[in-house]
Amino acid sequence: MTKLPFIARRLAHGIPLLLGVTFISFVLMVYFGPDKTYELLGKNPDLEQISEVRHALGYDRPFLVRYGDYLKELITLDLGLSDSTGEAVASIITRTLPVSVSLVLPGFIIGNMAGLALAMLSAWYRGRWLDKLIMSASVVGMSVSFLVIIIGLQILLCTPYGLNLFPVRGWQVHDLSSYFYYVTVPTLAILMVTLGYNTRFYRAVMVEELERDHIRTLRAFGTSPPELLFRHVLKNSLIPILTRIMFSVPFVLVSGSLLLESYFGIPGIGLVTFNAITSGDQPILKAVIGLTGVLFVLALMINDMLYNVVDPRVKRQ
Amino acid sequence: MLKIIQTAILLVLLTTGGCGEPPATTNSAPAKIYRHALDGAPGSLDPAQAASLYANFLVVNLYDTLYRYKYLARPYKLQPNLATAMPEVSDDGLQLTIRIKQGVYFNDDPAFKNGLGRELKAEDFVYSIKRHFDPGTRAQGAWLWQRRIKGLDQWKTEGSEYDREVPGLRAVDDYTIQITLTRPFPQFVHTLTQGYAAIVAREAVEKYGQELSNHPVGSGPFQLDSRNSIRAVLTKNPHFRAEPFRLEDEGYDPATQGDAGFEALQDKIPPFVDRLELEFITEDAARWNAFSANELHFMKVPVSQFDTVLSQRRPLTLSPQFAGAYHFEASPEAGFIYTNFNMADDRIGYNPDPERNRRNRALRCAMVKAFNWKKRNEIFFYGIGEVFPGIIPPAVPEYDPRGDKTYIQRNLQAAIELLQANGWNAKNLPVLDYGFPNSVTERQIFEQFRNFMVEMGYPAKKIRPMIFATYGDYHRAYSQGKVTLINSSWTMDYPDAENVMQLYYGPNGAPGSNSSNYNNPEYNQLYESSSAMGESPQRTRIYRQMNQLLMDDCTSITGISRTLLFLWDRKVIMKPDRSFVGGYFMRFVDLVESPVEP
Repeated sequence: MTKLPFIARRLAHGIPLLLGVTFISFVLMVYFGPDKTYELLGKNPDLEQISEVRHALGYDRPFLVRYGDYLKELITLDLGLSDSTGEAVASIITRTLPVSVSLVLPGFIIGNMAGLALAMLSAWYRGRWLDKLIMSASVVGMSVSFLVIIIGLQILLCTPYGLNLFPVRGWQVHDLSSYFYYVTVPTLAILMVTLGYNTRFYRAVMVEELERDHIRTLRAFGTSPPELLFRHVLKNSLIPILTRIMFSVPFVLVSGSLLLESYFGIPGIGLVTFNAITSGDQPILKAVIGLTGVLFVLALMINDMLYNVVDPRVKRQ
Repeated sequence: MLKIIQTAILLVLLTTGGCGEPPATTNSAPAKIYRHALDGAPGSLDPAQAASLYANFLVVNLYDTLYRYKYLARPYKLQPNLATAMPEVSDDGLQLTIRIKQGVYFNDDPAFKNGLGRELKAEDFVYSIKRHFDPGTRAQGAWLWQRRIKGLDQWKTEGSEYDREVPGLRAVDDYTIQITLTRPFPQFVHTLTQGYAAIVAREAVEKYGQELSNHPVGSGPFQLDSRNSIRAVLTKNPHFRAEPFRLEDEGYDPATQGDAGFEALQDKIPPFVDRLELEFITEDAARWNAFSANELHFMKVPVSQFDTVLSQRRPLTLSPQFAGAYHFEASPEAGFIYTNFNMADDRIGYNPDPERNRRNRALRCAMVKAFNWKKRNEIFFYGIGEVFPGIIPPAVPEYDPRGDKTYIQRNLQAAIELLQANGWNAKNLPVLDYGFPNSVTERQIFEQFRNFMVEMGYPAKKIRPMIFATYGDYHRAYSQGKVTLINSSWTMDYPDAENVMQLYYGPNGAPGSNSSNYNNPEYNQLYESSSAMGESPQRTRIYRQMNQLLMDDCTSITGISRTLLFLWDRKVIMKPDRSFVGGYFMRFVDLVESPVEP
């Protein structure tokens, strides 16, 4: 129960953030985003038809009225219909969000876990050949374009030119086996790209922790490496690690991965969002921006709560 | 540590052990599934909004139109679809009477009473066309019939009330439609093949409103099973009217099509496949990989793979490794690519000062001469595009293969001399804004264009790129006269040259389809005098004369028609089509057990 006021306070703090995010995004969308009018016109339009389409899109209404309606839509969760396909935006999000989450989640979890493991190894053997090997591999992973990795893995694992074990495209998931069938190659692609970044970041955090006096003291006392790494180094490094993980969650949930979804033919929210950005489909954009804002507020709140758990000093403050 | 690695490998093997096998399918899976790749995704599936090729691919399969094109006939020939015959046309060409087939039903849907599809009647066609003139529909096809059907434009200005009759668009009885035109329009029947003219049920529109775009309720050969951003699945409409396939009705030519397996289709009832899976794959590499992995039966080969697929360009020959496995067709595009000068811009177009007007024309003509079509074709179209002078592309009968080609031949020296003779130099040449939507290829095309002009002596900094986030933004900019050089393309809506001649008709100026704002009274008069003519030697002469006027005025740097390469599995019997309303062919696609050998 003592947590309720804390949660309420954090949520209240999130309201200005949400207003700011939605307002700035809406300004960008209205004044700098693509104009959908000409994509919805016939081939030989006249001025009357242009103004009809602008009216239908609501472009001829005052900015503040439109922004007010946007906030109302977010509060009532009545997100309207896509300007491109006419489908209800709420239905698009509920259909695509779970796909993106299940696409990115394995790579996200394994990428972070493996990143932590490699970072610990690298930090422990700092300056030695294993550290150099892991760091070099990380730099290679960071340097290769995501696109090259995707196409390379497709050729290697999904076509007759390679092993031909997995599908090039699709997402006809109906059980665990089919899930692994479709998610394996995208997950490998995510790992190859994110592992390097994660490892380097976590290594830097751990190297800093390993240099602290109390760690040196523990080593002098002969504490075993696993105990030292997991109980003392990892635990004391959790604040920056949690921050990194928590702040990537909204992106993982909402943006999915455009390239993966596009190249592997996966009907997730990343592709829908990208199409909405490039085509100026404002109802979808407004919903995605609102959703991202809410997720960030929640991530902030959970992050603060986790700080309480992992660092007693935060609680005392 | 070793144990951890071993366990990890074991886990990976365990979890992905069955991955070599595709997911199990159920016993009720359809027997014949045809998988087709499209390089773009459709937006709305509401016929009134079926503006793109991709939307048409679905709409003409989900809904019925009165007419279609014969499956195998080239050049294209019209064929009744829902209509019982070609229209009965009055002597003055103004009144058309069309009778429709009886016993055709809309698909079952909750929109209808008791959820059962009702019979499609003439009134449904009338309603479907009226929707284009209702501002609430956000329709995109009104331009096809604007000012063409008696009383229809007035019906719109008077409030678009569906229960009010339009004098020129009537259902005489349940199965007879009568259309009265304001003036003869020989291309009218072509417009009735379009997805725009597909017939919807009023009940469905009223029930689903804008969401009709995702709830198609038609009477076509297929029904929508599912659709998302990357694919659409259509299943066979079990109630589609049983009309046997007849080779003689579809324009079959045994001499050229005898080895494609079409004879096996004779007297069978289309659609022949149980399920269509349309994959929307915009990325060339992904499309190619999916096709290589046999996940698709058909694909349009991306230009980046032409080298892989072809062993030689002229004549186009497939590499042996592909020749054994696939059918192949090179199809000329029904349209063309061009760069218009904005004639409304007095820096390069019409100028009130006669002297400057004359010099502007000389400048445009010099730029036309400096343009290198050979290189453009080589770099961006693999050298297999068809370059032709003017705006009458090889896809239409009015094209003159023996016509003068000097307009498309580079003559740099003549271009330089023309500039000098008319007092143009690096200092006084105007700054030109070259527009294009943002993409790597568009940027490359711009750089190549600028380089051609630089070789003529045009300062590079005086040809500025104007880059737009989307094609819609670009369209808005050139419609508002903000772009001097408009690089664009035109895909023909129907196989009649009128569809390209109207592109330079003065009254169609921006924001209309005449993006060059060309306004030559002589051209306009010729267009008007020929507008009531069907395809004929007389009209061909007029069109060629109009084409010459455009070239004499150096209105546009034009043009090239791309050559599209199609590959498809040898187990598929079909003639693929991307022109006009190409998706009609899908009802005639069939799959066989053994590959069809050439």
